[in-house]
Amino acid sequence: MSTFSTRNKKKANAPSSFENQLALLQDSESANAEKAHQVWTRPSVPNIDPNRDSIIFQQIEIDDTIDPESREPIIRMFGITEIGNSVLCYVTGFRPYFYIPAPIGFKENDLSNLQKQITRAIQPENSLKKPIERIELTFKESIWGYHGNKKSQFLKIIFSEVRAMNVARRLIEDGAIKYNERQLREMTFESNISYVLRFMIDCKVTGANWIELPPKNYNLRTNSLETSTCQLEIDIKYDRFISHPPEGEWSKVAPLRILSFDIECAGRKGIFPDPTEDPVIQIANMVTRQGEKHPFIRNVFTLNSCAPIVATDVIECYDQGKMLQAWRDFVIEVDPDVIIGYNTTNFDFPYLLDRAQHLNVKKFPYLGRMKGIKTEAKDTKFSSKAYGTRENKFINLEGRLQLDMLQVMQRDHKLRSYTLNSVCAHFLGEQKEEVHHSIITDLQNGNDESRRRLAIYCLKDAILPQRLMDKLMCIINYLEMARVTGVPFNYLLSRGQQIKVISQLYRKAFEQNLVIPALKSEGSDDQFEGATVIEPERGFYNVPIATLDFSSLYPSIMIAHNLCYTTLLDIKDIDKLGDVDYITTPYNNAKFVKVHHRKGLLPTILEDLLSARKKAKADLKKETDPFKKAVLDGRQLALKISANSVYGFTGATVGKLPCIEISASVTAYGRQMIEKTKQEVESQYTIANGYQHDAHIIYGDTDSVMVKFGVDNLVDAMALGREAADYVTRKFVKPIKLEFEKVYFPYLLINKKRYAGLYWTNPDKWDKLDTKGIETVRRDNCLLVQNVIETCLRKMLIDRDVSGAEEYAKKTISDLLQNKIDMSQLVITKALSKSDYSAKQPHHELAERMRKRDAGSAPTLGDRVAYVIVKSTKGAAAYEKSEDPIYVLENNIPIDTNYYLENQLSKPLLRIFEPILGDKAQSLLAGDHTRVVQIATPTIGGLMKFAVKTATCLGCKTPLSKKDTAVCRHCKPKLGELYQRQLDTVNKLEVHFARLWTQCQRCQGSLHQDILCSSKDCPIWYMRKKAQKDVQDANNLLERFNYAW
Amino acid sequence: MFEARLSQGALLKKLLEAIKELVTDANFDCNETGIALQAMDNSHVALVSLLLRSEGFHPYRCDRGFSLGVNLNSLSKILKCAGNDDIITLKADDNSADSLSLCFESPSNERVSEYELKLMDIDQEHLSIPETDYEATIVMSSVEFQRICRDLMVISESVSIDVAKDAIVFSAEGEMGTGSVKLKQNPSVDKPEEQVTIELNSSVSLQFSLKYLMNFTKGTPLSDQVMLGLSENMPLLVEYKMDDAGYIRFYLAPKVGEE
Repeated sequence: MSTFSTRNKKKANAPSSFENQLALLQDSESANAEKAHQVWTRPSVPNIDPNRDSIIFQQIEIDDTIDPESREPIIRMFGITEIGNSVLCYVTGFRPYFYIPAPIGFKENDLSNLQKQITRAIQPENSLKKPIERIELTFKESIWGYHGNKKSQFLKIIFSEVRAMNVARRLIEDGAIKYNERQLREMTFESNISYVLRFMIDCKVTGANWIELPPKNYNLRTNSLETSTCQLEIDIKYDRFISHPPEGEWSKVAPLRILSFDIECAGRKGIFPDPTEDPVIQIANMVTRQGEKHPFIRNVFTLNSCAPIVATDVIECYDQGKMLQAWRDFVIEVDPDVIIGYNTTNFDFPYLLDRAQHLNVKKFPYLGRMKGIKTEAKDTKFSSKAYGTRENKFINLEGRLQLDMLQVMQRDHKLRSYTLNSVCAHFLGEQKEEVHHSIITDLQNGNDESRRRLAIYCLKDAILPQRLMDKLMCIINYLEMARVTGVPFNYLLSRGQQIKVISQLYRKAFEQNLVIPALKSEGSDDQFEGATVIEPERGFYNVPIATLDFSSLYPSIMIAHNLCYTTLLDIKDIDKLGDVDYITTPYNNAKFVKVHHRKGLLPTILEDLLSARKKAKADLKKETDPFKKAVLDGRQLALKISANSVYGFTGATVGKLPCIEISASVTAYGRQMIEKTKQEVESQYTIANGYQHDAHIIYGDTDSVMVKFGVDNLVDAMALGREAADYVTRKFVKPIKLEFEKVYFPYLLINKKRYAGLYWTNPDKWDKLDTKGIETVRRDNCLLVQNVIETCLRKMLIDRDVSGAEEYAKKTISDLLQNKIDMSQLVITKALSKSDYSAKQPHHELAERMRKRDAGSAPTLGDRVAYVIVKSTKGAAAYEKSEDPIYVLENNIPIDTNYYLENQLSKPLLRIFEPILGDKAQSLLAGDHTRVVQIATPTIGGLMKFAVKTATCLGCKTPLSKKDTAVCRHCKPKLGELYQRQLDTVNKLEVHFARLWTQCQRCQGSLHQDILCSSKDCPIWYMRKKAQKDVQDANNLLERFNYAW
Repeated sequence: MFEARLSQGALLKKLLEAIKELVTDANFDCNETGIALQAMDNSHVALVSLLLRSEGFHPYRCDRGFSLGVNLNSLSKILKCAGNDDIITLKADDNSADSLSLCFESPSNERVSEYELKLMDIDQEHLSIPETDYEATIVMSSVEFQRICRDLMVISESVSIDVAKDAIVFSAEGEMGTGSVKLKQNPSVDKPEEQVTIELNSSVSLQFSLKYLMNFTKGTPLSDQVMLGLSENMPLLVEYKMDDAGYIRFYLAPKVGEE
């Protein structure tokens, strides 16, 4: 109730309807004197004189193709100029290559012979006349291991195309080529990198940077030659253009056009829409220029008529095929650079493509920028340690970037639910109505008003991904990540972490004349010891606890000890190399040479990243322009992530270049450092050394330690923290740095990786309540747990009211037992993944049961199943007791309150209360507050149709005889009072229900229409359903008083 | 003031054993005529209806009707502390009962123990099954009924009960095989444990869950005989009479089709 009313207040000030927001858009536009009609096309191209003008554009996507005539590989760069013209730049002349170590005694004049031999070996598998362009003899050094900084001979074999290279690589690695009567069997170097990335590295092109084509160096194609829908098509040699590093002026972003869209399908009752049967009835579109706040194109394509919508073009179509065609034409004309949406990759695009094919709309599947290349949906599987395995569709849209916000969310954020509604509620604080797909058909088959209703819903779904993206600054952050790591934009979503490190590694190696071996990746399960954890001293600390953190621990260890592939020393080589200075790491006596012999490559990369981050952070402080600030913040974040992923790269055993000596040494150093920090702090800050108290480390994990200095005020704790950080830093090799970051006061240490505390960085005002590993985000818990734990922590740590927290916990338990807890708090959700579980699971069993009840509305694979646990026979397993929350509401099935108490609440509650109350914590779960219970009577169940309710006295609950309807004769005197009380209850409930109803009306944006929403993520929805029932029940009770007068 | 003294304390112990498996929390409704309890099991397939008439207690005093909310598990634990021959006295304040006091006296009056059970406030609808005339009424030995249920449980989780003019057949079908027990009408008066009487209006055939029937047979110690009432598409009644002291009735919904 209280949560609801505050919500209501907040909402009252917010714009009440989505339509109003649309109207506002138009107002602001007319103020800008822009025409009411929305212009789709891009700005026209100014006159360009190839002899005088240079062309400058930001490339956003790079791919490769093969010249149809010469069969040469060609790079295609798609981009946007500063005034918003689209550019396709063909880069020619770049050839793929790799290295092999030269055979012993190899001479310059052996080259042509070798070329012949290899060509002969390749030719059976490759029809090219001249698969090898040429072979060069170079001096390079392998990145693997330290060998006295001596370069050795390498052969750079340059191919005329990629396939020939791959054949040659295999043959050479397998030893299938003979040279001078001997088998040529060599490890290849740099052969396992894609052509596009090779090009980008060699030409110093990073992801999404600016490219300048100087005058006289390029060929501007005339209209007749155009192969794409881009406004400019240009040819240039790969060594003739200028690639600007994304710094200073060149960190700007071109006015990218971002299309956000959503489709609606008219499904049949109970069946998920099928593209061979169910029509696409609406497509809503929002097009925004990057950096602008509002979409400049807003339209919706509707099948059949639709009433006008403010500030929106309604494009009515009367034929399904024509509508799809119209939308395709719209996409081509608007020519978006980025296409976003919610689940567009796996639903909207495949559906549109399948539907178009079914309707035989031949021109539809050409949505990319290349003419004549058909857009198709293919299945892909993406597997990464960091992100898990996901099966996705891949939609080819040449020259356009795709950002499916659902995938972004799943990748970057851990949430309870990934429906658009709950994601928006989480990040935007904005709910949307959720129309069940079975209602959509009814709306479509209604009149133009009902279709307008649907269109507004569809438009909202189209704009929300855009808002979400703006709010989370996805484009900026991803662009910056692409720039920092040097990979194309689309790798960021489609590839894992490794490719980013590889890109940087190759770039640095290229500069230092190093070559990287192409290792065959061998999966091994070798696990090395991870980070250390200092055993926590559990308890509730009502004194300030200072936290000292190593900043960028792993990167700084690698820098400090010069850990790298290039400095790794093989014991066998020590004698050979003679006089070398090296360190032996705590891991398995791995040896690395010191920095004066050779500066490692990884340390160099890391130093660059860290100093770039420092710079970005410094710039960020100075910058005032919010947009530039966003860019800089995105950059420093990208730099931080990149620096940390370098360590992971060396430890990835299935990776491209794993080196256990590096990664294991890093963690071993890390462990040592935590231990050393503990010793240093505890031996320095003692009473013996003149301090007030003995300092004590109560907990430490990976890169931080928690110190109890013993002082009781924040100012002293912070001063000591700073001093200790500096003191310990001095004991370590540079640039390892221990930093004082924050003080927790008070601090509740529950266990390893489980704690909570009030977070202070300045002594006047706390920053936030910080929790780690406590049941607040885990999704297999119900919301109730989350809320109770959060509130209890809040009361304990912020209000310092432990008994208040206890009271609150007891009150909640008591409410739970009396069925006063809102159903939405009790819902547990779980994704329905595999169709066969070996062990029975509640959500899976429920889905099965729901399918029997009604196959149409039952959850399907991939859906999140929401369930509550209901009462059942004694000893029944949880999977027998799961039930659909809506079914429970409708049939008044009793909730198994004991399950929630014992299996959900008890452990988390005890965990946070035990450090404070000790054994007394148990008293939370039993006691007087658990002695008032309510047992609901369901409307279904085997015996319910035979049972008769006997009225009980409203005063004292004794069963009534037939002639009494409200109270027993003992309670008669209190009749008036009881009636008044009941009347009050009814009134309260009615007000409550009315409020919820208007809340939902506000959310849907109209106070005149019925509510369609059935969002299972929305707490209001459950409350509304419950309130409706309560009102009814209370009214029934009230009627029993009727006899009295 | 509420006070009830039960000379055969064992009766109460047996009663609790019979119902605590089915019901966890329930209200004992006390009034001038006696103590009653009606409660459904958690899955709403079975209902327990219990009556202890005031005549069974000496003395019995209840000034006004009120409810005692009891956690049956706790009550059963306390009753375990009473000896089988003990006299049990229940006492409570009928105006604002927050606890029930129990007093156990040994027959020779040498040992008196007193316990207090904290009561619960149970908000629950009061449900009952209306009395009906059953198409078939069977009276048989309670021990025999218990044995049949136990035996057929080996075969299956559910049992079919078919009543014809002169015999009643319990049968079960399971994965491993089938089994059935047929009892013929046997009005032998001299051996009551073998007595089977069938009163029949029309023949019936119904299916029930054995798991529940097994729970019901926990009432066996209360009475030598059990009465079964069956009608097509109606709940089964299983009744154990405790002479004049009262009765315990179990109702069980018939199994329909797949369920």
